[in-house]
Amino acid sequence: MVDRFTSQPIELPPAGHEFERADLIFYGLDHSGDSFEARVFLDQRGVGRDADREHRAYVGSFFILGHGGCFGDVGHCDVPRERDSFDLRPAHQLEPATRIVTVTEAVRALLEKGAEAAKVTVVAETEGRASNDVLSFDRVRLVAYA
Amino acid sequence: MSPAATPAPSLAPHALRHRRSVRRLTAGQLADLRQAITAAQAIADDRGYQAWAGIHGLPLPISCVHHRELFLPWHRAYLYMFEKALQERVPGVTLPWWDWTTHHAEGIPEAYSKRRAAGAKNPLFDSPIQPSGREAPSQTRTVRAPGRPGELPSPAQVRFVLGNHDFLTFQTQLESIHDGVHVWTGGTMGSIPTAAYDPLFYAHHCMIDRLWYLWQLRHPGAGVPHALLDRPLAPFPLTVRDTLDVTHLGYDYAASTAAAAGPGHG
Repeated sequence: MVDRFTSQPIELPPAGHEFERADLIFYGLDHSGDSFEARVFLDQRGVGRDADREHRAYVGSFFILGHGGCFGDVGHCDVPRERDSFDLRPAHQLEPATRIVTVTEAVRALLEKGAEAAKVTVVAETEGRASNDVLSFDRVRLVAYA
Repeated sequence: MSPAATPAPSLAPHALRHRRSVRRLTAGQLADLRQAITAAQAIADDRGYQAWAGIHGLPLPISCVHHRELFLPWHRAYLYMFEKALQERVPGVTLPWWDWTTHHAEGIPEAYSKRRAAGAKNPLFDSPIQPSGREAPSQTRTVRAPGRPGELPSPAQVRFVLGNHDFLTFQTQLESIHDGVHVWTGGTMGSIPTAAYDPLFYAHHCMIDRLWYLWQLRHPGAGVPHALLDRPLAPFPLTVRDTLDVTHLGYDYAASTAAAAGPGHG
């Protein structure tokens, strides 16, 4: 778990190709711990530690309502790695989450500046907790819809 | 965000109960809600408030569905069952919604933020938490730590989310807004295992359910993916399909309602 993360550069849609909407989709988000706001920034270089919602590269936030830790016995919150096709039980409570942040105008602005790729920075902020180390996800994808 | 364009419900209007904005409840409607919550708090068995709050969170198992594809249907079923339990205490009472896109200066609606009401303790202000529902032994009652009112979701944010054509995209973005209001309210509401012990939880989720209802009206050709329709919403005796039409669940959404008796047939 970390409190912030900056991705490798992600390719932007090819210049000159119209799109109606662009989304950043975050896959595999952990929600086992404290609740948090994740502030998302999109920029060619990444952003510094002091970046807040007023930063020029801020493109929006997503929120995670967390489970606040494990209240069961050992192994209770371990998500099964595989489910067989005859397992009709509900999915594990901690199956990872997906979040979508729409970034259409920010991507257009980057393209207008001649950018071909951008880094995604995510900064986690819990309310009143001692630690902001709540951020974990598998992948972030930029999707443009024509 | 007015449901003024609402088509005629599929059941006769007189058979439906209406959920209303908490800020537009009449004094009598608010008194009924408080009476229903108070009566439910007084019941220690599985019909009572504590038992219903415990279905969503602690004690284990935590049955609520978050961050998965059944988020909206499960919570619609949950509110329906809870509302039925309240109606057994006070016939006709319905859950109100908290429209957190308006009245930002007020933050939490006065009906829920006043410690006392009508000369008595306000049952919407807070709630006990049963010992098995606590994250820590000291957590005997619900608390809130609201953020700055201006940080609640804006009408523009909600309009954008309602514009999604695809159900799963709509649901994912609405759930993020939903999570943000939980985080904004803070305290007991800020954690899945305890959130439903706070009476404000039900007004917040009523707003979420209403937004799904408004999305359904706006996108009549879209809907929940077919593969999900027969999925059960445990522990309730309902499937996703059962939750698709609120009028089949016996309720509808109205900005406000009021009524007066007629002359009768004498």
